[in-house]
Amino acid sequence: MTTVEEREDLLRRLGLGGQNTAALGRLLNTGNVAEAKEREDGVMEATIRIRPDEICWDPSILVLPHGGDLELELINDDLNTHCALLPSNGDRKFIWLVNHSRGTARLNLDGPGYYWFSSPSGNDEGRGLTGAIVVLGDVPPEARLDRPDQPRP
Amino acid sequence: MTTSESAEPYVDAGEAVDQGRLSGKVAGGDVAPPVTENLTFERIVDARSEPQNWLTYYGTYDGQRFSSLDQINTENIKRIGPAWIFQAGVSGIIAGTSTYSFEATPLVVDGIMFLSGWDGWVWALNAATGVEIWRYKHAVPFDVSLCCGNVNRGVAVAKGKVFFVTANAHVLALDATTGKRVWDKTYGDVRAGESGTMAPIVVKNNVIVGSSGGEFGVRGHLDAFDLETGEHQWRCYMVPKPGEPGSETWPADGEAWQRGGGNCWLTGTYDVEQNLLIWGTGNPAPDFDGEVREGDNLYTDSLVAVDADTGQIRWHYQCTPHDVWDYDSMSECILFEKDGRKLLAHFDKNGYMFVLDRTNGERVSITPFVDRITWGAITRDGQVVPKVYPEAEGVAVHFYPGPAGAKEWTHAAYSPKTELFYVPIQDVGATAARRRREFKEGIPYWGAGVAVDIEEAVGYLSAFDANGEEKWRWRNELPMCASVLATGGDLVFAGEPSGEFNAYDARTGELLWQFQCGSGHHSSPVTYSVDGRQYIAVPVGWGGWAEGFLPGMLGAGHGSALIVFALPEDTPGRGDDD
Repeated sequence: MTTVEEREDLLRRLGLGGQNTAALGRLLNTGNVAEAKEREDGVMEATIRIRPDEICWDPSILVLPHGGDLELELINDDLNTHCALLPSNGDRKFIWLVNHSRGTARLNLDGPGYYWFSSPSGNDEGRGLTGAIVVLGDVPPEARLDRPDQPRP
Repeated sequence: MTTSESAEPYVDAGEAVDQGRLSGKVAGGDVAPPVTENLTFERIVDARSEPQNWLTYYGTYDGQRFSSLDQINTENIKRIGPAWIFQAGVSGIIAGTSTYSFEATPLVVDGIMFLSGWDGWVWALNAATGVEIWRYKHAVPFDVSLCCGNVNRGVAVAKGKVFFVTANAHVLALDATTGKRVWDKTYGDVRAGESGTMAPIVVKNNVIVGSSGGEFGVRGHLDAFDLETGEHQWRCYMVPKPGEPGSETWPADGEAWQRGGGNCWLTGTYDVEQNLLIWGTGNPAPDFDGEVREGDNLYTDSLVAVDADTGQIRWHYQCTPHDVWDYDSMSECILFEKDGRKLLAHFDKNGYMFVLDRTNGERVSITPFVDRITWGAITRDGQVVPKVYPEAEGVAVHFYPGPAGAKEWTHAAYSPKTELFYVPIQDVGATAARRRREFKEGIPYWGAGVAVDIEEAVGYLSAFDANGEEKWRWRNELPMCASVLATGGDLVFAGEPSGEFNAYDARTGELLWQFQCGSGHHSSPVTYSVDGRQYIAVPVGWGGWAEGFLPGMLGAGHGSALIVFALPEDTPGRGDDD
């Protein structure tokens, strides 16, 4: 049986979790998972970083407890310039992140479901800077079908 | 406070901006004139008196997809060429990346075009120049359940707002001048496999939307929301609960009705005089395994007349009782009159043309409109006789038409000038073997393994009169998979899967003009005029459920362009009237 630790060891041994080791870039979604925090006003908040030479969002998977507004702090600790293209209702949000910079993004997402975000510069997306925002929860009760609860996978 | 891993303070990157701000817009150029402010229900009812506009999904409530504009006609069609092209492109990673398709019908109001794309896009464009005025992008989950590709078929406009649905089953109202969200309601459950793909229509003070998700074992419904507030007005389920009228057509002791299908995934038509929405419904679920849902399975595969004020069903006609071939009846019902009778014509996936009395749903005539029909037969008195269907577990059977139907969702047109219906036809078969599976919410529920024919798939554009007599046929080596437009210039327009956009003589079927658009057609062209110049607009972008209607072109390139044609500006005799 595979455990999380074994997966990390395997990624390291195969060189899938870094730049120019096994493949050319870092394999997508080999980064960390974290949960956003919900403030008293209902707005969720989180920080996502790009660490030096890791070419990976940290976390690369951000989990929101439900749909709504998210205030995201974005930090580029890398020694190269990147950017962020983020999902949000109305229009996608774009921010340029020069070396050693910090910015914010205010997003609105429905959920449930998950959404990609990335750094659309060069091939940052393919080399590892593609992440996911996962929104938990259910649709509002009034949007559910009028039928008994059904079996799920 | 976040601290740097170095002692040096961070450079302030500021706050992320709307991506649309980085699209070359000039200051102030992102506000549209308030052309829809006075667009009332009464104007939409009388849309035929505004041929310069395309005010509602089918152009008019009757679903005819006919415009009286005749500046472009059989005499000068050879002179038209591209006036402008809008290319949306795709950036980032989207749901159904390999299946997105440009399936919309553009709407035009007094020189402004409102257009939807895949993945939550809506644009307002200058209809004379193609310049983008504003854009709205809804965030669509990457993992949303999509039966048939990341597609959207259009918007509705009225009273200063633009209405559309999203792949994750929201219905939204946008400010038509700015594209900003006014209200946003969830009308389907993505965890149940529901989604939204159709173009809404506005009727009185309501916007009407239907559910998608027919391959996931949902319970199809039609909904009405208040235009101004978004408040939910009514819901009409197309599969009755036990005890309700029609429930006797489902197993009495089972759970089949709970996941029975009957989605309203395409826009219906509206009979103004009777205040009836006339809506086609989708397949029963599971699509191909009928044994778990014995009975006729109302109101699946039916034409259903719904009171527009209350959402109550007034009459229905079922085209394929107990369907086991995926023969949705979602296609349009074209309203017309003949010999003083108020009729409708419907070209069904099952290969038959149905003409009904639309005051009561009574059958007038039933006529086959495709050459190959082997699944069964429908007699002229309406008796349905199934012949070939996936019955025994694991035993493959072949039948015509395949599950995309002899005519898919793409629309026919009707010219009141010629009194002919122009129908895009797919003559394609499929093989299916029943494969029973346990129902689980959110997982496709077909009940079969299905493969549509690749090697032998043909099509034609045919003209029929109201009696079902074929008046002409233009044969194609591939199925015809795009909507038809008929105009007062005695022209019929239809696109091909291989990219050609064609104009035909409406009376003879002669091919008069052709333009290679660079990608296959699976959308609905429209016509309009601005300052006296007539335009023909066609969204171009192959994709969608190609494995269903033309798997032989699954490898064809996608596109994402709206191409708009017109006569040269210096054309002699080009009038200035609308």
